[in-house]
Amino acid sequence: MELLTGILFTAFLAGGVLGLAALGEVLSERVGVFNLGLEGLMALGGVTAIITVTIVPNPFVGILGSLAIGLVFGAVFATATVLFRANQVLCGLALTIMGTGLSASIGKNYAGHPAKVVFEGVAIPYLSDLPVLGKAFFSQNVMVYVVFIVLPIAVHFLMFKTRHGMKMRAVGENPAAADAAGIAVMTIRFWYVTIGASLAAAAGGYLTLAFVPSWSEGITAGRGWIATALVIFAGFRPFNAVLGALAFGIITSLGFVGQARNWPIAPAMLSTLPYLGTIAFMIVPVFVWKRMQQKMAAPAALGRPYFRDER
Amino acid sequence: MFDLKNPSRRKFLTMAGTAAGASLLGNTGLVVPSAYGAGALGAVKEEDAVIAFGHVGPISDEGWTSTHHDGLVAVKAAFPKAKYLEIETIPYSADATRTFRQFVAENATLIFSSSEYGDLLAEVSNRAPKVAFMECNGHRVADNFSWYYVKHWMPTYVIGVAAGLMSKTGKLGYVASFPVPSVFTSVNAFQMGAKSVNPKATTQVISINSWFDPQGASQAGTALLDNGADFLFGIMDEAAYLQVAEKRGIPAAMWNTDVRRYGPKSYVTSCVVDWRKFYVEQTRKRLAGTWTGNEQILLPLGEGVDRDAWGESVPENVRQTADAVRTKMLKDGFNPFAGEIKDSAGKVKIAAGEKMDDMALYNWNWAVEGVTGLAT
Repeated sequence: MELLTGILFTAFLAGGVLGLAALGEVLSERVGVFNLGLEGLMALGGVTAIITVTIVPNPFVGILGSLAIGLVFGAVFATATVLFRANQVLCGLALTIMGTGLSASIGKNYAGHPAKVVFEGVAIPYLSDLPVLGKAFFSQNVMVYVVFIVLPIAVHFLMFKTRHGMKMRAVGENPAAADAAGIAVMTIRFWYVTIGASLAAAAGGYLTLAFVPSWSEGITAGRGWIATALVIFAGFRPFNAVLGALAFGIITSLGFVGQARNWPIAPAMLSTLPYLGTIAFMIVPVFVWKRMQQKMAAPAALGRPYFRDER
Repeated sequence: MFDLKNPSRRKFLTMAGTAAGASLLGNTGLVVPSAYGAGALGAVKEEDAVIAFGHVGPISDEGWTSTHHDGLVAVKAAFPKAKYLEIETIPYSADATRTFRQFVAENATLIFSSSEYGDLLAEVSNRAPKVAFMECNGHRVADNFSWYYVKHWMPTYVIGVAAGLMSKTGKLGYVASFPVPSVFTSVNAFQMGAKSVNPKATTQVISINSWFDPQGASQAGTALLDNGADFLFGIMDEAAYLQVAEKRGIPAAMWNTDVRRYGPKSYVTSCVVDWRKFYVEQTRKRLAGTWTGNEQILLPLGEGVDRDAWGESVPENVRQTADAVRTKMLKDGFNPFAGEIKDSAGKVKIAAGEKMDDMALYNWNWAVEGVTGLAT
């Protein structure tokens, strides 16, 4: 039981990183822009958070710092892909390469230093005393609640329960029709891509302030890519995205628990679990559930820049 | 040939490479034998000297790499007119060869490699007979090449004694990097020290496949504690698992430097290393022309490696018992690594009455009884 609590506790912590980045990507992809720069944005957000809390020792300010750097780089990315209609895949890859490189060089003097302040766990009275699940669910830090409860509800409500959300989805499905209906395609795309990038950078801040908690080069370790895959697996839906993130969290913590319990699997094999999980998550549903392919299909205009002249 | 029990990608690739290279170049005269240029390492004027340092991690790690950087700072203070080169975070790949070759191209007179790059480094040193190389934790020597390391197993045994006394359950956790000899020796010394005072003591190991991975280390520490361990030790270049231990109120011992400010309540001690004196001495020798290759140097307890001052939560009786062992090592040359020692499968490896010498300890490649999770 102690073990299960431990696995779940770590799973929420580890999954939160993916969940936050995946939610950002959901926003971006729902309006039709494929952002492959998550890995770079996370790295930038992570190092910014560490540097920020070194100056202002408050984890919330640290996360604000990550959000801000995400806004800046997100706006650059959106300018290139939305306004100038550059190739989204190439711009995303460029953002990843630049983000990981830039973060490594600005974070050089901070590598390995533990974070000055971190998000501490907050035990919710009564609920956190529940056996087994109490500690795993209700004694997490505030970011975990934000990622797993507040944000998914907010994003879901925004996308599926408001008129504005319908416009967003229309822009992602058929920008030409949306344009004809008087929706400002470029404005919507630009802002949601930027906000999505900002959330991805915040995921980096979460990583260095709530999970690890310190900065080092290569700390994102492919999490940005996993989050990208997660969005597709989740069928571009916010709740599925955070649930998938939790599943990945469980897989990640199993790798270490497996070693601690001497499971007869090579440690190197156990540490590849999250990546194997990514592949499995992408392939299995397609085979098992033919109908899902349709239901979970990507927004029709995903990845395609919008040219009004071609309408 | 290839030791399957001690797998290392590097060794394997090198073997394949050497085999291919030898068959191609064997008789062409293109391979410069390492004996070439013996005695060519003459005296160097201080202003002409170039001293280079290649590190495995970032010098900001407050651990392994920072101790070597402190060494560089000390050398610089002693020989201010020389030129210094320093490169951090050199990966274990062909990039290492390129980096060290760059040092040679910049006329380095003495090159310190603060981690074992093995054949990646040998490839450079073999073709630069007039440059002196020193490899930390290395395993080969040549006329222009020596290795050095510390007898870390001595303070580690002392730390093990403290762990054995402080653990209530006897379940100890160890955050390891790779299954390499320095890790085997460290785990074994820790387990043997603990067992000498606590017959129930066992050590569970998790390898995270890196020397510097704060995230992996903190997850490994969490998993070990979830599994019931109530004392953590490890061989990481940074302090991540100490923070985990501090949060959980579990004692933890560290490596490299005093990092107690990251977990003042949990901090027990550290296997601290100090290269300053050694680096200054080696540089002095190189400048004077008395530096020689083919040396295998292990700095003893008290001269380059020791336990750190005890942490605030370490009880008085633990300090005394552990320090008594340390004093015995220093004064009477006590060697705790004496038979009978069984491996983790229960087979007697060192018979009663036998003692392991320094080279046996340095090259230890099997886990002792009571250690689990470290592949043998």
